[in-house]
Amino acid sequence: MTSRLLIVDDSNIIRNHIARLMVDPRLPGIEIVGLAGDGRKAVEMARSTRPDYITMDLTMPHMNGETCIGEIAGLLPETRILVVSALSDKATALRAIARGAHGFVHKPFSDETMIQSLLELMS
Amino acid sequence: MNYRALNPEDIQVFSEAISTFFERMTQRPARVRTAYMLDRPEAIVWNDFNGVIQVSGGFRGAVSFSAPRGLLTEVLSAMGEAEQSDENFLDVAGEIANMLSGRARRHFGEGLDIATPISSVRDGAVIPTLAAGPAYVIPHTWGPYEAHLVVHLDLIQRR
Repeated sequence: MTSRLLIVDDSNIIRNHIARLMVDPRLPGIEIVGLAGDGRKAVEMARSTRPDYITMDLTMPHMNGETCIGEIAGLLPETRILVVSALSDKATALRAIARGAHGFVHKPFSDETMIQSLLELMS
Repeated sequence: MNYRALNPEDIQVFSEAISTFFERMTQRPARVRTAYMLDRPEAIVWNDFNGVIQVSGGFRGAVSFSAPRGLLTEVLSAMGEAEQSDENFLDVAGEIANMLSGRARRHFGEGLDIATPISSVRDGAVIPTLAAGPAYVIPHTWGPYEAHLVVHLDLIQRR
């Protein structure tokens, strides 16, 4: 069965890095349905593509990740969101979870950390 | 409001962030050297590409990462990125500045409010002068390359 993934980050490099990890055999059947560079675009793409999973940056132009998580959680309550952010304080992680995120990965991340976090998100 | 300049413990947080970045992202350690203080931020020698993060909240100032093309080429390769374009060098320079600033929130807390990065090439480098205190330069080498993190922040002390 295919799972639908939306990748949200204002860095093209990070979006592509996460996308490339989807070829790992431990992450079978993941279809990347969109790449968004800001929060506003992410909400639009989530509405149109209805992803099962989202990786979500927090510091972004136009609409920050926290606001974006709240909007998407309201629109698509079944979608599971993994925050991928450089913001390393505990309060930010707790606030993101309270808004509707399901996990948190700190940048910089190793490939293995990201894969394990996605596996946990999908389990 | 009163402001205070950074102390050595504050600067150490950024040195550790540099080590963590290279270990995690490339699996190759960087050699982080002793930070030194500049009383004139305009004396900074910029490398080929620069990423600047302006901060606000309980702070004023900026954190800037400056690196040569060769270093960024190898960082992109370590991340699996095949496209070695100036656009990607600017992107990764800004993203590294973002990661190093974001990691410092473990020490400073969420009061260190971080903006999205502003990236530039050497000739277009912007010298942030938002802080009144001294700027600190943290030189580091990774393989044959030398890069610099410039931390120019004041902490707002609320009464």
